[in-house]
Amino acid sequence: MSKPKKMNLNQKQNLSGWFFLAPATAFIAMMSFFPMFKALILSFKTGIGTNMTWTGISNYVRMFQDAVFMQSLKNTFFYLIIQVPIMLILALILATMLNDRHLRCKGLFRTMIFLPCATSLVSYAIIFRSLFAVDGFVNTILIKLGFLNTGYNFLGHPMSARIIIIVALIWRWTGYNMVFYLSGLQNIEYSVYEAAKIDGASPFKIFTKITVPLLKPTILLTAIMSTNGTLQLFDESWNLTFGGPANASITMSHYIYNMSFKYVPNFGYAAAMSYLILILVAVLAFIQMKVGDKRD
Amino acid sequence: MKRKILAVLLATAVTASLAGCGSKAPATDTAATDAATDTATESAGDTATAGGDNSLTVWCWDPAFNIYSMEQAGEVYKKENPDFNLNVVETPWADIQTKLTTAATSGDLSTLPDIILMQDNAFQKNVISYPDAFTDLTSSGIDFTQFAEAKTAYSVVDGKNYGVPFDNGTVIACYRTDILEEAGYTVDDFTDITWSEYLEKGKDILAKTGKPLLSCQAGESDVIMMMLQSAGASLFDAEGNPTITDNAALKTVMDTYAELVKAGVLVEVNDWDQYVGTLNNETVAGTINGCWIMASIQTAEDQSGKWAITNMPKLEGVDGATNYSNNGGSSWAVTTNCKNTDLAYDFMSKTFAGSTELYETILPKSGALATYLPAAESDVYGEPSEFFGGEAVFSKITDFAGTTPSNNTGVYYYEARDAVAVAITEVVAGGDVDTALQTAQDTVSFAMGN
Repeated sequence: MSKPKKMNLNQKQNLSGWFFLAPATAFIAMMSFFPMFKALILSFKTGIGTNMTWTGISNYVRMFQDAVFMQSLKNTFFYLIIQVPIMLILALILATMLNDRHLRCKGLFRTMIFLPCATSLVSYAIIFRSLFAVDGFVNTILIKLGFLNTGYNFLGHPMSARIIIIVALIWRWTGYNMVFYLSGLQNIEYSVYEAAKIDGASPFKIFTKITVPLLKPTILLTAIMSTNGTLQLFDESWNLTFGGPANASITMSHYIYNMSFKYVPNFGYAAAMSYLILILVAVLAFIQMKVGDKRD
Repeated sequence: MKRKILAVLLATAVTASLAGCGSKAPATDTAATDAATDTATESAGDTATAGGDNSLTVWCWDPAFNIYSMEQAGEVYKKENPDFNLNVVETPWADIQTKLTTAATSGDLSTLPDIILMQDNAFQKNVISYPDAFTDLTSSGIDFTQFAEAKTAYSVVDGKNYGVPFDNGTVIACYRTDILEEAGYTVDDFTDITWSEYLEKGKDILAKTGKPLLSCQAGESDVIMMMLQSAGASLFDAEGNPTITDNAALKTVMDTYAELVKAGVLVEVNDWDQYVGTLNNETVAGTINGCWIMASIQTAEDQSGKWAITNMPKLEGVDGATNYSNNGGSSWAVTTNCKNTDLAYDFMSKTFAGSTELYETILPKSGALATYLPAAESDVYGEPSEFFGGEAVFSKITDFAGTTPSNNTGVYYYEARDAVAVAITEVVAGGDVDTALQTAQDTVSFAMGN
């Protein structure tokens, strides 16, 4: 009756596949999913330090009454709405230009544009801070050129501080996104462009009618990644502006950090705010997928 | 052609990155050695604790200052107890805070050392957040009456002593005598004055020399807090409730600060390095800060003899206003992971809370000013400092320390500090003082869950 357990080739391969997958899966579950689950539980508790008690969803209600958190949410969305489109369009234009077959020194330009991406987040933020100091490089240039009489305190005014962060972000991340577009462009047949040229299409027409539609999957990918990255922005707020002046440039992650480590620690509330970021990222990614994926 | 360019580019990139590695290499090396020493000391500490004999492990952060002092304390104690063993592990304050948070929230306190050095401003917060991590020192035999009262208050929670006071953040006003002279003033004109006199003279000096009297970091409330404490006022009442509104002293402080900025007598810079830069590059004619700022001032060796020290201006029309205040400082705390508490108590009471000799040793080299009052009578404190115009600055500052009013930090000190910093930024930008303070009060109340 009992059949000797003998697996066919397919099952054997499946088994060895799972065997190789198991360690990585176990590690991801242990190091990533387990803490996420614990954080979710934590977000329903409240209290100072280690003295936590259950509180239900009050943390999630609380954050919408928290003026500083609302300010940080506004700031983060300001960065998102202004910076991401500018950066992606710039990256797309640069990628198209660098994809030109007749351009010389392509490697040089690509390297130069990609290089900022290889700098550490902290060090570039600190360099930007010193560039825009009252007696910094930018002010010195502006004074020497006669645009200003005395140094302008870029980081001391709400709007200019936000703009500096956006400029810094564009400098740091444009090259990174450009590389994705460049690799996407390699998949577009050159003959398509030749045909378009023969038909008399202008470069702008070629860009909007051929490059952009064919790059759509890559654009979607970079848009989701940038959105995700911007919502979790921390280093620039922490190192470049210290969230100031008067919380005008503080990001959500920066406020969460303060809540956990600088202020009287309320880890439950901090975990709840982190989950709001997760929800926001998920919702925005979902919308972008729906909008970007109009296959007809 | 293109290949060649590519090759050159690659070569440059590789060389650049190699150069980068080259310059980084020493850093990594030190890190490695540090880690090695850490593990060495830690394992030494572990075995010692396991054996339960004469060994203590300490975390503190500054090799020139508190680490040096702790090691000297170890030497002092060793004279009586030759088999005593002290392991000092260099740990930056931010790391101590993170490690403490991690240990306390995970419930595994065994990673903590026997003694940690803690910033005074964070003391209440940590004791209340992680009550299981700290040892009550009230009946440990350490004599707390020998310390300046305002200083000890930082580490007292619910009437219990949790810390042994260490360094002093007594506020000093430092002035460049040569710049004052240029405008026709001496340091005596800035001793025992009020803020309005300070403002008047500051305007005059600015007009004559083009140099502001004071600089500070925008978005930080150090100057505000110093002014506030100088009148014995706080952001919290004795029960720990925020008193940002209906606080006459604070309102005067805000008005004074805004006036100073408007007149250009006080310049705001964006970060700490720029602040120290204003002192060392002769951008300003003076500063007001905790006495630990002397170390930063003295890095500009070419300015030796050009500085003088006196007390800070006092607020006008505020009850209890003085010319003395405090900014910063730290205290030693004994953790509950300390297995040999008797040894820790005995060590503390015979060194930081009982040895004038220790303070005499550490003062000249580290500038660690005692909050241990008997030490102030020592001769070493009376020795003149060449850098500060040949004056006996240390005994002067110790005198200031004895008259400093105490301040209520409360648990939510950092929240309140930041809220007030936001308020002053708004006031300087032209906002209404009362509205700004009301917002700050609301922010703090909200953080406290009201």
